[in-house]
Amino acid sequence: MLSTTFAALLPDRLPWYIAGPALGLLVVGFFMVANQPLGATGAYVETYKTVTRKPEAVTWRMFYFLGIPIGGLIGVLLKEDGFVRRSGYDALRNELSLGTTALIVLVGAVVMGYGARMAGGCTSGHGICGTAQRSPASWMATCTFMGAAVVTTLVIRIVSGGAI
Amino acid sequence: MKSSTAHKVLGLLFGAGFGFVLAAANLHEYDTIHKMLRLEEIDVFLLMGGAIGTSLPLLWWLERRRANTVIGGPLLLSRSKPRREHVVGGALFGVGWAVSGTCPAPALVMLVSGAGLAAVTITGLFVGLNLRDAHVRRNAGVATAADGEHRDVLASPR
Repeated sequence: MLSTTFAALLPDRLPWYIAGPALGLLVVGFFMVANQPLGATGAYVETYKTVTRKPEAVTWRMFYFLGIPIGGLIGVLLKEDGFVRRSGYDALRNELSLGTTALIVLVGAVVMGYGARMAGGCTSGHGICGTAQRSPASWMATCTFMGAAVVTTLVIRIVSGGAI
Repeated sequence: MKSSTAHKVLGLLFGAGFGFVLAAANLHEYDTIHKMLRLEEIDVFLLMGGAIGTSLPLLWWLERRRANTVIGGPLLLSRSKPRREHVVGGALFGVGWAVSGTCPAPALVMLVSGAGLAAVTITGLFVGLNLRDAHVRRNAGVATAADGEHRDVLASPR
């Protein structure tokens, strides 16, 4: 497969005991600089508002939104595998056609987006930034989505006969 | 709220830092999240624990010290009471997360790593967020308390 890499400076997977505290320090750092949490759901919402020129849009959130794939691409290009053009979702693609996979992923993403907006945050907003502020609402949302995701995955596993 | 240039530059930088760590830890890969949710690997749980375990005590300490932020005035943490929306929305989010195998921020990294289907995920997310906003507008409701999301903090001189 065609892959692009700059240099294999990063391991295949940075261990959790480095990546976890690094994320935590980014959260604390942004609070100490700008007094703001780093939720991704709000970044999607404000990006949409900025692009559609809503007067109440919080423009800097779009810059945050754009920063994520820029930093992500740098990280990807510093790995041995680097950038690899592919469809993604290997475990699903091994069992299903591209069209079926796309449809399932689309439905899942719509439900995820609706839920994130309803709950007021996602894995980054509630799961890290909210829990770190000791917010009861965030702890409640985080425990709920963790539990729901594990149960859903179990159901998928049973329905697919263990294949997915 | 009008965004200052400083906010935009800082947003871009911290977004890039966040995206870099997500890519470095392979969180943009469907398989990483899928294995975590199948409870085959505990790394991502430990990673989240490590992130909270670092930021929670530090923020607590900074809050007690009444720390001042660089451009945002005195440090302000927000804590809301759980409401029905946090539970129902959280459950829906969890179901969608399990099906699509990635959450909002890693989906953006997934796309730039070359996985084309991530474009479908990102599109679906925008659709879902807007469906919820439209629903709230129709019912003249209020948005759910979101302690991990942007809020209007005026840069006050102490």
